[in-house]
Amino acid sequence: MTVPFHRLLIVETRKLFDTRSAMILTAVLLLLTVAAIAGRGLYIGPDLQRLVWTAGLGYANLLPVLGILTVTNEWSHRTALTTFALEPRRWRVMAAKAVPPTLAAAVASLFALLVAVPATALAGAVRHVPAHWNATPATMAGWTATNVLFTLAGVALGALLLNAPAAIVVYLASTGVWNAVAMLGGTGETLAEWLDLNRTAAPLATGDWADVAPARLAASAALWIVIPLLLGVVRVSRREVR
Amino acid sequence: MIEFSNVTKTYKGVKALDDVSFAVGPGSVTGFVGPNGAGKSTALRILVGLGRATSGSATVCGRPYHELERPACQVGTLLDAGALHPGRSGRETLTLGAITLGLPRSRVDEALDLVGLTRAEARRAVGSYSLGMRQRLGIAHALLAKPRALVLDEPVNGLDPQGIHWMRALLRDLADAGCAVLLSSHLLHEVEQVADHIVVIGRGRVLVQGGVAELNRGRSLEQTFLELTADADRSLA
Repeated sequence: MTVPFHRLLIVETRKLFDTRSAMILTAVLLLLTVAAIAGRGLYIGPDLQRLVWTAGLGYANLLPVLGILTVTNEWSHRTALTTFALEPRRWRVMAAKAVPPTLAAAVASLFALLVAVPATALAGAVRHVPAHWNATPATMAGWTATNVLFTLAGVALGALLLNAPAAIVVYLASTGVWNAVAMLGGTGETLAEWLDLNRTAAPLATGDWADVAPARLAASAALWIVIPLLLGVVRVSRREVR
Repeated sequence: MIEFSNVTKTYKGVKALDDVSFAVGPGSVTGFVGPNGAGKSTALRILVGLGRATSGSATVCGRPYHELERPACQVGTLLDAGALHPGRSGRETLTLGAITLGLPRSRVDEALDLVGLTRAEARRAVGSYSLGMRQRLGIAHALLAKPRALVLDEPVNGLDPQGIHWMRALLRDLADAGCAVLLSSHLLHEVEQVADHIVVIGRGRVLVQGGVAELNRGRSLEQTFLELTADADRSLA
């Protein structure tokens, strides 16, 4: 009997919010969401779905960074010394680390909806036009799933590189790199269509479930989430902690 | 209780530890002394499973650390007082440990009292702590589960004279209560005051070990230490 998994989960969830930088990141995320949705509501009018997606612009960058920092923090502040002395089975710690940012992404998606509903009503009232209550459970589910996928990609990249700046740069640069690859003729385009998570998840993000290509989504998720996460767990398990 | 048997550690062809063997029994304080870079930290990290020995074994109660039942409840460790998240409060740092180990939250207050950190200090972010306060927090963390063995890497670094005096008394009390204490230091003088046994290490090899009284026979331990480690020191220059 060592540390039960639920205790690791509680601890890793606390670590997501119990430091100054984490609190600042959370506050920025919440404020940006409110500001972006309210601002866009006044600009484009009462369109619930588009207002929800507005939050996605910030989420697409901030949630993966949250995922990256969750993992890399242990190495940048060398708290891994304590964490892995308390639980020597490091893969269990890594598994516990993947959960809180995933939940945070789901909660953040729900939060965007909660902000977008009054923003839509308000925008309709201010502009004297009827509101479009056009967000459906299906589109919300697809969008939430996309946010979760991107966050997991951040966790996986953080686990693989164990270095926050490197992981953040690779993540942010990946969109541009794929756009460049897609312009390299037929092969490049095919590669991007199958392996660029941004592309494969695009129909999911907009809730166009019929356009989702499961094989392509799975291939890109394997490349950006499953493989780096597994390699990262192996790396962490073997690494000497100093 | 703690035992190193022929532990060798090779980094890229260089022997960081070379056939290190010594034991720490319950109810005693063992000082692990050597110049900086002698291999003390490497050995302690291997003991708690954070590093791997190339050959040989380091065990607690006859078993490797990771095979122990609730290892961190049996062995308290302070490996680096600097390895704390600067943005986390002292209290939260201990709370995370208490939750992980399944201890009641009251242990956090008890541990804070034990090391003399006030409630107000515990609420502050660790980033604002002096090295001495970090050492105290680290000791509190190591003692959370009231372990039977204690492994401390350079715990007196950064402590003021009162702090050093306090640390000696604390370690003595713990050992008298049956705890096996292993502490490393590059300052022989600090260790000599509290340890029952001394293990001197230089360039990865155990140079001499024995009871403090026994090692002091005839001439001062310091003289012996300096002579033994002269080689090791020069290698660093």
